[in-house]
Amino acid sequence: MSMTKWTITIQVYRQKGEALPHYDEFKLEVDPDEYVLDGVERIWAFNDRTVCFRHACHHSTCGACGMRVNGVEKLTCITPIREVTQNGGKIKIEPLRNFPVISDLVVDMGSLYSNMERVGAQSVLPVTEAEIERPLRSWPKEDSQYIRLSDCIECGLCISACPISTTSETYLGPAVLAGAQQKGVRLDPNLLRLVDCEDGPWRCHSAFECTAVCPSFVDPARRIMLLRQQIVLERLTRLFRSEPKKMTVKEANR
Amino acid sequence: MTQAPKSISASTPKSGENSWLWLLKLVTGPFIIIFMLVHFIVNHAIASSGLLNYSDILTYYTIWVVPVMEIIFLGLVVSHSLLGLRSIIIDLHPSRGVLAVISWLFLIIGVSAFVYGTWLITVIVSLRVTL
Amino acid sequence: MNINRNQPSPGKLLQWFNPLGRKLSFSGFTLNRVSALGLTLYLYLHLIVLSLLAQGPNAYDNFLKLIHNPWFMFGEWLVVAAGLIHGLNGLRIALTSLGIVVPQQKQMFVFLMVIAVIGSLIFAFRMFTTF
Repeated sequence: MSMTKWTITIQVYRQKGEALPHYDEFKLEVDPDEYVLDGVERIWAFNDRTVCFRHACHHSTCGACGMRVNGVEKLTCITPIREVTQNGGKIKIEPLRNFPVISDLVVDMGSLYSNMERVGAQSVLPVTEAEIERPLRSWPKEDSQYIRLSDCIECGLCISACPISTTSETYLGPAVLAGAQQKGVRLDPNLLRLVDCEDGPWRCHSAFECTAVCPSFVDPARRIMLLRQQIVLERLTRLFRSEPKKMTVKEANR
Repeated sequence: MTQAPKSISASTPKSGENSWLWLLKLVTGPFIIIFMLVHFIVNHAIASSGLLNYSDILTYYTIWVVPVMEIIFLGLVVSHSLLGLRSIIIDLHPSRGVLAVISWLFLIIGVSAFVYGTWLITVIVSLRVTL
Repeated sequence: MNINRNQPSPGKLLQWFNPLGRKLSFSGFTLNRVSALGLTLYLYLHLIVLSLLAQGPNAYDNFLKLIHNPWFMFGEWLVVAAGLIHGLNGLRIALTSLGIVVPQQKQMFVFLMVIAVIGSLIFAFRMFTTF
């Protein structure tokens, strides 16, 4: 942390109950290397105890602190203040889009969590499916015994950034479709039926905003493209196959 | 204290769009580019006057491959455009009833446009033949 | 209820055309949408106009004289530009939809739009210098 101090104005979206939303402004003295979340916490601690916001881990693994900062979806715990404003400048903080606001910066993420469960998104995977560290096929077979947490932290930034999620409330959204891709439609006929519909990957029109805002290397846009491939291949295969392929116990428990 | 609002979760899967319709839209696209290039190059570069008068157009349509190509091009463009437009409307999450009406309307428009265009091409071909 | 303000709604479709805070590929999405609507409108107008061919040489040639003015030609140039943008951007979408070149899709978008701009400028030069 530097010794420099900036004076900035933070404009916070406020909405309580059925009152009309408005913005409150708070002038703060901050270290520019602090994070936006630190600024919001200081507002709550010293200026206004009624400001509602979510936070937990403070190191981008829980996904709780997702907000819109100057109109762009960010995890505020890893967004330095100097990245979004300058000395004397202003930061506008709003809740994520496309989720109902509970209070101020807190939104109801229930739809995301329930859809992730519906598609059977896996929170734990074999390390051999970790494309970030090395290409998939280069993992030694014996390493599949090791497991890791899935990349998706269910922060909802992708859904907030998606232009189709803005107009369609039933669109499953990038995070859920990425989770479905990771699960694999071939193994689950119910999943195929769930995603091969007007709320599935056919709603994606390649804006790639989800991948642009994802803080966790999920690359949802690419996974949506791969999910499309999975669905098309599965549908073509079923044209020539009379009986649906049965899952083994191992595959069902995956 | 305000009760947290009820979550909106995805409804039962609907069949307004599926892999086959999407594939059709995807496949027609590149073919349209190819046909469009041919349509443009022939119409405006190879044809002597750039097909800018009536008798040149009629002469052009006596080459047998031209009406065939134009009919196929018409089918591709009509289906791609209406599937695309329908997809944009589905992005706005219409009700099932509205979507059904729009789907039938587009089907009627598409078939009508194709039939009309094909009829027009055969009329143009026959006009030259009778001249 | 105010909770509806922040929820998905068809009324928010203007957000599709708001590039503030969004990255370059979002503009690709917007351009594709706008060009699609314009080209669809042109397609059906074009089909209607071509019916003049069935009415004989005077009808069609008189129509060509009518549209031989800068405003119509500008409109036609817009159609060419929209066709280039939609076609080339569509190629990018088709390739990425098949899982090809996804990591480089941004660079591909820039490259293809440069080609679209160059193509549009060439057409503009051809159309307006022969006017």
